[in-house]
Amino acid sequence: MVAKEREGALTGYRVLDLTDSKGAYCTRLLADLGADVIKIEPPQGDQGRNMPPFLHDEPHPEKSLYFLYRNANKRGITLNLESDEGKDILKKLAKSADVLVENFGPGYMESLGLGYDMLRDINPKLIIAGITEFGLDGPYRNYKGSNIVDFALSGVMITSGYSGKVPTLLPGTPAYDATSVAADIEILAALYCRDAIGKGQKIDVSVHEAARTGLYPWSVPIYSYSLNPGAPLPMPEGRLGAQIYPVYPCKDGFVRVIAITPRNWQALVRVLGSPEVLLMPDWENFIYRVGNAEDLYAIMLEFTTKFTQIELWEAGFREGVPIAPIYDIPTFVNSADATARKFFIEVDHPVAGKGKYPGSPYKWTETPPSVRRAAPCLGEHNEEIYCGELNFTKDDLMALRYAGVL
Amino acid sequence: MSRSALEGVMVISLGTGAVVPDAGKILGELGANVIKIESSEHQDFVRTLSVKKNDVPGFNETNRNKRSFGVDLRTEKGKDLVRRLIKMSDVVAENFRGGVVKSLGFDYESVRKLKPDIVYISSQGFGRGGPHADYPAYGPMLASASGMLSIWKQPEDPFPAGSNSPLPDFMASKFVVIAILAALDYKRRTGKGQFIDMAQTEVAAALMGEKYLEYTMNKQVPQPLGNRCPYAAPHGCYPCQGIDNWVAISVFTNEEWRNFGKALGNLAWTRDPKFADIPGRLKNADELDKRIAEWTATREAKEVMDMLQGAGVAAGVVQRAPDTMSDPQIAFDKALIELDHSVVGKRLYPNIPFHMSETPPAPSRTAPLLGQHTEEICRELLKMSAGEIEKLKAEKVLESA
Repeated sequence: MVAKEREGALTGYRVLDLTDSKGAYCTRLLADLGADVIKIEPPQGDQGRNMPPFLHDEPHPEKSLYFLYRNANKRGITLNLESDEGKDILKKLAKSADVLVENFGPGYMESLGLGYDMLRDINPKLIIAGITEFGLDGPYRNYKGSNIVDFALSGVMITSGYSGKVPTLLPGTPAYDATSVAADIEILAALYCRDAIGKGQKIDVSVHEAARTGLYPWSVPIYSYSLNPGAPLPMPEGRLGAQIYPVYPCKDGFVRVIAITPRNWQALVRVLGSPEVLLMPDWENFIYRVGNAEDLYAIMLEFTTKFTQIELWEAGFREGVPIAPIYDIPTFVNSADATARKFFIEVDHPVAGKGKYPGSPYKWTETPPSVRRAAPCLGEHNEEIYCGELNFTKDDLMALRYAGVL
Repeated sequence: MSRSALEGVMVISLGTGAVVPDAGKILGELGANVIKIESSEHQDFVRTLSVKKNDVPGFNETNRNKRSFGVDLRTEKGKDLVRRLIKMSDVVAENFRGGVVKSLGFDYESVRKLKPDIVYISSQGFGRGGPHADYPAYGPMLASASGMLSIWKQPEDPFPAGSNSPLPDFMASKFVVIAILAALDYKRRTGKGQFIDMAQTEVAAALMGEKYLEYTMNKQVPQPLGNRCPYAAPHGCYPCQGIDNWVAISVFTNEEWRNFGKALGNLAWTRDPKFADIPGRLKNADELDKRIAEWTATREAKEVMDMLQGAGVAAGVVQRAPDTMSDPQIAFDKALIELDHSVVGKRLYPNIPFHMSETPPAPSRTAPLLGQHTEEICRELLKMSAGEIEKLKAEKVLESA
C-alpha cells in the first residue's frame, strides 16, 4: 500500500471504531492522521451523543459538542451487533479493515462470536485493540470506572488543587485520553511491524493501568526513592501546585512562575525591579520558598501587581525565568500563537453548523493532519458503505433498518 | 520467535525535561535503539533537580530504556560524531528551547542534508510561527497559557493551583510517540521522512476540545465545575479516615443510586424521595455531598471503594504512590516494575501499560548514568578504536560515566 502525496500519514488504513466516549479520542487521533475511520454505532446512536456540553445548550443527538469534537474526521454507520445480520456485516467489514477498536468490556465481543480468534480467522492481518476499565482479568475485573474515579486512581488527583482542600478534577476526560493515546501507540507499533511479522495482533488496554502509569509516571518513583531502610516514612504526598509552580496576581489577571534554580529566582527578582525584601539569600533556595510559600505570596503581591501578564511574560523571557499568563479559553483561542499557527480550523456540520475546532497539535511537512470532515450524523454513511462497498441495495437497507439491524 | 515491534529503529534523543525523554522511554520499551545525547555542560535539567545527577527519581523514570552518549555538542569533533550517528538513525526528537538546535547545527534543515528520509520532531511550548516560539516550555506554564488551568479548579477558588504533575507534559510525550510512529510507518511505505513541529499548548487544548467549542460555537466562557458533573450526582471526592485521605464516587443512574443506598445499609436519607431521580439529586447535590462526606469520614477510602464497587457503584481511592503499590489490580497487571539501578539500587517504576499479543515489550532497562554508554556506542556504532576514544575523552569532547 502506498499513500498518496499530501494525504495523511495513515491514509490507506481502515479503522473500525466500535467505541463510545471512552475510546472516541483514540480513533479520532488516527483519523486526524489520515486513517479511514468508520464509526459503527448501534441503531439508536452512541451514548456519547448525549454528553454535554451541547450546541446552544440544546440536548440533541447531533449537537453534543463532546461528540462533535471527539468524532470529527470519521465516517459513521449504524449496526446492531447483537443481530445475526449485524454480526455477518461486521465480519464482512473486518475482512478489509486494518484495525478494530472496541471498549465493550471483558468478554463481550467473544459472547457475540466476534472475539479476536474469530476475526483473526477472517483477516489474519487485523489489529484489534480492546479498551477495558480495569483489564480483562484480575480482582477489579468487574469494577466500574468513570471519569472522576479513573482520575482519582491515576495518582494525579491527590496532587491537584489546594493543600487542605478537596482534590480537584482535571476537566475533559484525562484518564480516557491517557488510555486512548496508549492504545494509539500500540496500534501504530503493531501496524509498523505487521508486514515484518506477517500478522496482526490483539492489544489490551486498561484505563486504570494506562492512566496510573501514564499521567504522572514520577509519583511512584519519587516515593520509592524516598524509602530507605531505617529511615522514617516520607511525608504523605500533598497538593503542592501552588507552592512549586506559584501563581501571582498582576494588573490584568494571574501569572504562573516556574522558578526552580537559583538562577531562575535571581531573574525573577530582576523582573520585579530587585526589591530589597526579595534579596534575602534564603529565598534563593527552592525548598525554602516551597516551605514558606504563603509568606512569599504576601510579599510578592506588592510587586507582581505593578505589571500586566504580558509584561511579566516577556520580562521573564528576557531575564531567564519562565513565566506564563493564566489565560482563559477565549484568550487562548484569540492568542497570537494560536492564530499564527492556524490551530483552530473551521468545520461545517450539516446540523450543528459551522464552528472553529481545535486542530491537531502538530504541523507536518509531508502529511499534514487536518480536520477534513465533521463528525458523522447518525447513519450518515450507511448508503455509502453498505451499498457502495458491501453491495447491498437501497431496498436491502430499508429492510435491514426495519428489522433493527441498521 | 517473538521480536519487539520497533526492532531495528534507531532514535537520537536531544531531549530534556519530560516530553521527549518520556517519548524515548516508550520507544525504547517498544524495542527501538534510543540514544540520549547529553553532557555535563549541557545537562537535561531534570538531572539538576538533585545534588546528585544520577539520583533523581523523575530523571531515572523518564530516561529508562535508552543509552547515554556523553558528548560536548559545542565542539566540532563532538558534532561530527553526532552527525555520524544521525546518518544511521531513523528519528531525531528534540525539545530544547526554541532556536537551540539551530544554533547547534542540528535543526531539521541541517539534519535532512545528512539523512534525507529522517523523521524529525520538535516539541516546543508554543510551536513555530507565533511570537513565543523561542520561549521556554515547562508543562505547568503551558497548562496556564492554553486555558487548561483556568477551569482546573473549584468554582470558589480564587485562582487555580494546578497539580504536582507537570501536565500536559505526560500527554504531550505520548503525542510525540504517536507522531513518530505514524511518520515512521509512512516512511516505511513511501521512503519519505518529514519534519513535525509540535506545540505543547495545543496538546493541552486538544485534550479538552469540547470546552473550546463552548466558546467558539456557543460564545460562552467555560467555567470551572470543580468535581461536579452536569448530568450526575453524587459526583465528587469525599474525605475518609486519616489525614487527607479521599475517595471518589460517581452515581449516574437511578439503579446505581439504589445500589448505593443498599451498600450504605438503606440509611434513611438514602431513601429520601428528593434524591430518587437525577434532577432531584442534581438539585440537592450540596446536601447529598454533605451526607456522603459524613458517612465516608469514619471509613477507610479502600473500604468505601470496595463496598461501593461490590454493589455496582463506581468508586475509587484518590491514590497516592503507596495506594498504588498496594493496589491488587496494579499488582495483577504487573503495572509497577522493580529495577536495580547501579547508583540508586532497587526502586519501583511504572511499567509500560502495553499488552500486545505478538510483540512483547523489550526488557525494561534503568536510566543511564551521564555518559554510561559513550564508549560502547563509539565502539559498536562508530567503529572507533580505544585510542581514538581516549583521545577524545582527554580533549573533553567525550565523557563517560
